[in-house]
Amino acid sequence: MGTIARGVKNAFRNSIRTISVVLILSISIAMALIMFESLKTVETKISSVKASIGNFVTVSPAGIRGFEGGGSLLTDDSISKISQISGVTKVTKTLTDHLDTTTTNLVTPIAAGDFGNRQQRQSTGSSEGSSAGQNQNHSFAMPIMVSATDDVNVMQSLNVSQFNLTSGEKIDGSSADNVAMLGTSMASKNNLTVGQSFKAYNRDIKVVGIFDSGNTFSNSLIIMPLKTLQTLSNQVGQVNSVLVQTVSIDTEASVTSAIKTQLGDSADVVSSQDTSAQAVAPLSNIKSISTYGLIGSLVAGAIILFLTMVMIVRERRREIGVLKAIGASNALVVAQFSVESLVLTLISSIVGMVLGTFLSNPILKVMVTSSTTSGPSNAGEAHVAMMRVGAGIVNGAQGAVRNLQATINWQIILYGLGAAVIIALIGSALPAYFISKVRPAEVLRSE
Amino acid sequence: MLKVMNLTKKFQSGETKVLAVNNVSFELGDGIFATIVGKSGSGKSTLLALLGALDKSTSGEIFVGGENISKMSDRKLINYRRNKIGFVFQSYNLVPNLSALENVILPMEFAGVSKSERKNRAIKLLREVGIDEAKSKRLPTKLSGGEQQRVAIARALGNKPSLILADEPTGNLDSTTGDIIIKLMKNLAKTEKTTIIAVTHDSTMSAKADQHFTMKDGKLL
Repeated sequence: MGTIARGVKNAFRNSIRTISVVLILSISIAMALIMFESLKTVETKISSVKASIGNFVTVSPAGIRGFEGGGSLLTDDSISKISQISGVTKVTKTLTDHLDTTTTNLVTPIAAGDFGNRQQRQSTGSSEGSSAGQNQNHSFAMPIMVSATDDVNVMQSLNVSQFNLTSGEKIDGSSADNVAMLGTSMASKNNLTVGQSFKAYNRDIKVVGIFDSGNTFSNSLIIMPLKTLQTLSNQVGQVNSVLVQTVSIDTEASVTSAIKTQLGDSADVVSSQDTSAQAVAPLSNIKSISTYGLIGSLVAGAIILFLTMVMIVRERRREIGVLKAIGASNALVVAQFSVESLVLTLISSIVGMVLGTFLSNPILKVMVTSSTTSGPSNAGEAHVAMMRVGAGIVNGAQGAVRNLQATINWQIILYGLGAAVIIALIGSALPAYFISKVRPAEVLRSE
Repeated sequence: MLKVMNLTKKFQSGETKVLAVNNVSFELGDGIFATIVGKSGSGKSTLLALLGALDKSTSGEIFVGGENISKMSDRKLINYRRNKIGFVFQSYNLVPNLSALENVILPMEFAGVSKSERKNRAIKLLREVGIDEAKSKRLPTKLSGGEQQRVAIARALGNKPSLILADEPTGNLDSTTGDIIIKLMKNLAKTEKTTIIAVTHDSTMSAKADQHFTMKDGKLL
């Protein structure tokens, strides 16, 4: 029987103690595994949320507030400065405008409703002389929104949460043709199909494509090439939003900072990662809990094993002395006790992994619940921040927290076994030192 | 052949300095069964620990088979204990979760004896000390005191040592069993050409020894 076999045999020498140690240690290892799984799950989800938000910086005129205006539009000069910043890979320009009954023959598919009329009454109260203000007893028509971009392939520049072309083709963002894509609601309300035209800015605009964005607001949009809208709306060389794509997420902070320096107070600069940081705030809370939980569980496991091994070494002090007296070296005795410690840890790991598999999802759910209910301010900020990026991201990030699902894979099992070996080594390191200090002469003195 | 020259061991016990072994010198030939008698605290166990390289002397020299163990490094002392020394303790000190056979094999495993050789030798040694094959498979707790001491003697003989050091080997045994153990050790000393030194209070054992010493206040009389 070799050293390893003796170590294995010793692990089962006292069955009650073995069961107790395995039980306590396995709970600690199960907790470590659950925390590690949660950490990995949350990290993956954070990465996917960040990736879905993308690595871009939005630059808008300072103080601009959607279609309500505010601030001075960005000019080609500002855009040129942005393009020259290191780390910028692409600059996509967008411009938006309103159409009303005087500038288009289109009819909006969105009814003003009680809310719209109330908003309009409040608005006209301070805007005397407007046509709507002179006829306050009548319902007003919601303005029709036109959005233009120089690259329709950049989803974020379209002001839609999702984009599915249902008929026709996409417009060429770089052209100056009088063409447009209509949302399905707009096309349906005005009985327009691909190839037909409508009037806007006293010109005939040809419908080249119809899209579905999944919600009524976006389906009521008109999307045009940037140059077309700039010309038709007399805003040549001006845009009200620039979407700056960076080399990677890592360079986004430096690009954001450089844009702020270049444009100063004239622009509001919002990084998608600033937004994503708020969006993933609940996930970050779970990540922190998991990290501390993981460290705590591993330390607890190492302490449990350490105390067990100290107890075993003290109990077998005489036996250690005898082994040394009959020719065992310190290394041999230490190896035998290390194997014993390793066996206890590995058995505990197996039990811990079984426990961890069954308990990981319930515990993760508890963490998700406590994390999302204990941080309303963060959740609120995240919601506001996400709203600025797009409705799709709101749904994605909210779902990210709710739909967390921990799964055990081979990588996690291997990490778990690795952690078990580390726990065993740490737990038996000091006992090994005690073993080396046992003098064989003590065997005779204690007779 | 064992030769001890001017061996002294001093140590500090609290405030007082203790001279446990005081300038001890003696010689013993191969195959001799010797005993050391003396009161508690006379230095018997300390002398045994020094001879077995379990402790280091303050001064003096010990030659075993011509080798001076007083000058050996710790690593060499481990080898010395493995190959030249056998220990027999008063309370047997067998490893409780190993069978009698596995206990006898243990020092041979430490010395690097091949698996088959150490097993054959252990079986033979156990047979020589009167432990049959059935009993050799038992755990120490399933053996009587006398049987456990026989197993301990077989274990001490495993690596064909030059010197066997026995600390009160009959101390926990009844007189009949003690007599059997004494006879066994005396015979083994002759047949195995091994020097056996037994520390004892047992006058019967002293009477049967080839050579006996008395220790008093650290001195060998």
